[in-house]
Amino acid sequence: MTVIDCQNLKKRYKRMNALEDITFQLEDQKITGLIGRNGAGKTTLLKVLAGFIRESSGDVKVFSNNPYNNLRVSANSILVDDQMSFPDSLTLADILETAPDFYKRWDAELATNLFRYFRLNPKQLHARLSKGNKATFNMIFGLSTRCELTMFDEPTNGMDEAVRSDFYRALLKDYIAHPRTILISSHHLAEMEHLLEDILLIHKGKVVFHQSLEEVKEYAVALQGPTNLVEKMTAGKEILHTKQLDSQRKYVVIRREDLPLIEGVMIYPVSASDVCMYVTDDRKGGIDDVFK
Amino acid sequence: MDLNSDSTKPIYIRIAEWIENEIIADRFQSDEKVHSQYQLADLFNINPATAAKGLTILVEQQILYKRRGLGMFVALEAKSMILEKRRNETLTQMAMELVLEARRLSVTEEELIQLIKKCEGEQK
Repeated sequence: MTVIDCQNLKKRYKRMNALEDITFQLEDQKITGLIGRNGAGKTTLLKVLAGFIRESSGDVKVFSNNPYNNLRVSANSILVDDQMSFPDSLTLADILETAPDFYKRWDAELATNLFRYFRLNPKQLHARLSKGNKATFNMIFGLSTRCELTMFDEPTNGMDEAVRSDFYRALLKDYIAHPRTILISSHHLAEMEHLLEDILLIHKGKVVFHQSLEEVKEYAVALQGPTNLVEKMTAGKEILHTKQLDSQRKYVVIRREDLPLIEGVMIYPVSASDVCMYVTDDRKGGIDDVFK
Repeated sequence: MDLNSDSTKPIYIRIAEWIENEIIADRFQSDEKVHSQYQLADLFNINPATAAKGLTILVEQQILYKRRGLGMFVALEAKSMILEKRRNETLTQMAMELVLEARRLSVTEEELIQLIKKCEGEQK
């Protein structure tokens, strides 16, 4: 079943185009990583999908409905981010208590157990939580809704290292027990790639690729060795990234293909997170070139 | 639990190799049910689809067989198939690398054989 279907989706703000041209489909019961640099349009895309803001043009369907102001979409989806707000008159305990009125698949036991595990204070007000605890509470809320479409926007921002890894573990365990469609955005692909089935990479408001994680890991190879040999091997090929290591040696990343083995040139795999970084880099050189 | 952290190999390959190792060590016997994709996902903290891919490889190689609705089971000849495959592919590959490295280090054939014998002796 197709849960999300975007065709040529555009979103214009007053002075800029946040989404230029987004076309992709998301099948149900997969965990997909929404990856992109700062300003790529990740947050805008998630807000359109959640129905918080309206698209400027193009076609967007969530559960076959346009999500904006749609009850079916809002009852069956949730977007967890750092802007989630709850009424100031409710304590954290009150929020968890009223949640089943809005989310029919709400899992009170999971919510209570996670709440206790992370040692949150039930009498506290949401607005008064520290950045890290707010992120933790929002994550607990999002997981416990068991929404058919659960979206997280940079959920681990503000969480410390231990909470992050607990969060990813909790997400995976609950997904195994109750498979559903999960879309999760992050700058930190490396720390969550073990969870992902697919990657949706966007850049400047456009989709760069939508592939399985395994395909992304096999997208590119890196060659390292004497400059003249490496340049000869990569001549005429699409170069994704290049770095001069010292006066004689060079590091070049190209699309994966069968390459002849040449003495002195090492061939390395390129991690999924490096692939995403390189294909979304518009500059010719890297940070090292600034310091030349 | 941690997989053999040889991180250049895709995770699904390492899952397949882990199951093979369990079969070689007789921890999974012939006609015994192996872990489901969900159990593997939980055990190794990975996406269930990745775990399923590891299982699929073993089904394709007829080391495992599927029983509809019941799960994956170890084939009758699984262990001998894995041993043969490892001897033919993995071990040969490792020997090739050993010979190449010996050549780079100017170790003679004689010295290399002595080294292997010495290692054999230490394992006994």
